[in-house]
Amino acid sequence: MPANWSYVLAAYGLAAVALFGYWRHLARRARALTARPGAAVSHRTPNRTTS
Amino acid sequence: MTRVLGWLAALGLLAGVAAGFGYAPREAIQGNVQRIMYLHVPSVLTAYLAFGLVLLGSIAYLATRRPGWDRLAASAAEIGVLFTAITIVSGSIWGKPTWGTWWTWDARLTSTAILLLVYVGYLMLRGLVDDAEARGRYAAVVGILGAVNIPIVHFSVKWWRALHQPSTILGPGPSPIDPAIGLALLVNWIAFTLLFAYFLARRIEIARLEET
Amino acid sequence: MTYVRRAWIVFQKDLLIERRSKEQTNALLFFCLVLLFLFQFALGPDRDRLAAALPGLLWLGFILAGLLALGRSFLAERENDCWEGLRLTPGDKSAIYLGKLAGNCVLMAAVELVLVVLFGVFYNVDLWTPAAPLALVLALGTLGLASVGTLFAAMTTQARARELLFPVLLLPVQVPVLLATVSATQALLLGQPLADVAHWLKLLAGADCVYVTIGILTFEFVLEA
Repeated sequence: MPANWSYVLAAYGLAAVALFGYWRHLARRARALTARPGAAVSHRTPNRTTS
Repeated sequence: MTRVLGWLAALGLLAGVAAGFGYAPREAIQGNVQRIMYLHVPSVLTAYLAFGLVLLGSIAYLATRRPGWDRLAASAAEIGVLFTAITIVSGSIWGKPTWGTWWTWDARLTSTAILLLVYVGYLMLRGLVDDAEARGRYAAVVGILGAVNIPIVHFSVKWWRALHQPSTILGPGPSPIDPAIGLALLVNWIAFTLLFAYFLARRIEIARLEET
Repeated sequence: MTYVRRAWIVFQKDLLIERRSKEQTNALLFFCLVLLFLFQFALGPDRDRLAAALPGLLWLGFILAGLLALGRSFLAERENDCWEGLRLTPGDKSAIYLGKLAGNCVLMAAVELVLVVLFGVFYNVDLWTPAAPLALVLALGTLGLASVGTLFAAMTTQARARELLFPVLLLPVQVPVLLATVSATQALLLGQPLADVAHWLKLLAGADCVYVTIGILTFEFVLEA
């Protein structure tokens, strides 16, 4: 059975990108909201919860 | 509190990677590809945790109308979709060298894909309803229906698979025998749960801030 | 006014509107005819291929027609400013849900009958012999589709992009119903006895119970403000 490390790396790599990206997304949104309360508007229709 | 959670999660993930690559042995049949399991299985478990919380939040919101429950449901749904996507992609990448194909309509992958569709729909509904109060109510109804539907989906897909393709393919599954693999799995699962809790805390906070 | 009476009134009202205007039924009937041609052209002249795909095509037809029919369940109320009237109805709102559901089931039944006859005639498939068990599968599947469809229709009439949101919400939830009905229909068309598909029928019946129950319990939350 070949080593197939490329697949393992691909899977972990993509997951890392997704998770890190989401973490950055959260951080950015939180920063925007605390810097100027009520003025944080994202560039596309946000997935608001309650508002 | 949230920061502590974040650091714990980061530590946990490091431990998980170490366990998955350093401590756990190379699996006999599948080789190193099997290590994807340490990412794939905790992901799907975390997704189920998330959707369970969506159900809880939905029911509680309809019962009490406290916006905190709606925030919980919405945040959990968003993160749940993220982990479901990771589950599917990692499962697909696992499948390529194992089964020879990127996608197969096996019971687990199919059920997980349906789960993804249901909760993406949930998020879409939230995005398209302007009135905040109606949004919470509608989302709660969809959240409840989606969760209750999970076992129904599970059985229907399972029987459908049995009907159409008797399993001659050896699907990738965890090797229950080797305790090292079990331990690595456990460590990764704990790490993912911590990460989920951290994400959830931050996401709920953002939702709360948006409310003011 | 009793609960049943209120549900009955909603049901009668919808039937009456439809009987008088016939606009929806006519359009749906024509849509069925269009589907017939669509499937034929999509799958080509090979008779056997069409016959093999028939259970799936039949249910695809039901679902497509259902998306159109069910999505419009509450359109009349919305367009004619009767939504408030629905909301202000005294008593348990779920009576309205059941009334609407009954109306939708009748509508879907009519559509399905037409499609079954059209398919049998144009694709030369024997749908008469397994008619009775097939009717059972149709009934269970239709109830599953209509029960969730009616609930989601009430929700999406208020939302933006409702024509897109309705299918996106409904179809993933309906996957088990689709799997069950197509598998059961296929078995029946191959001549297998009803007992062979008992597990599918049980799944459908169970799912229907769950969906209708949730519909009854949550409809009032959808109908608020």
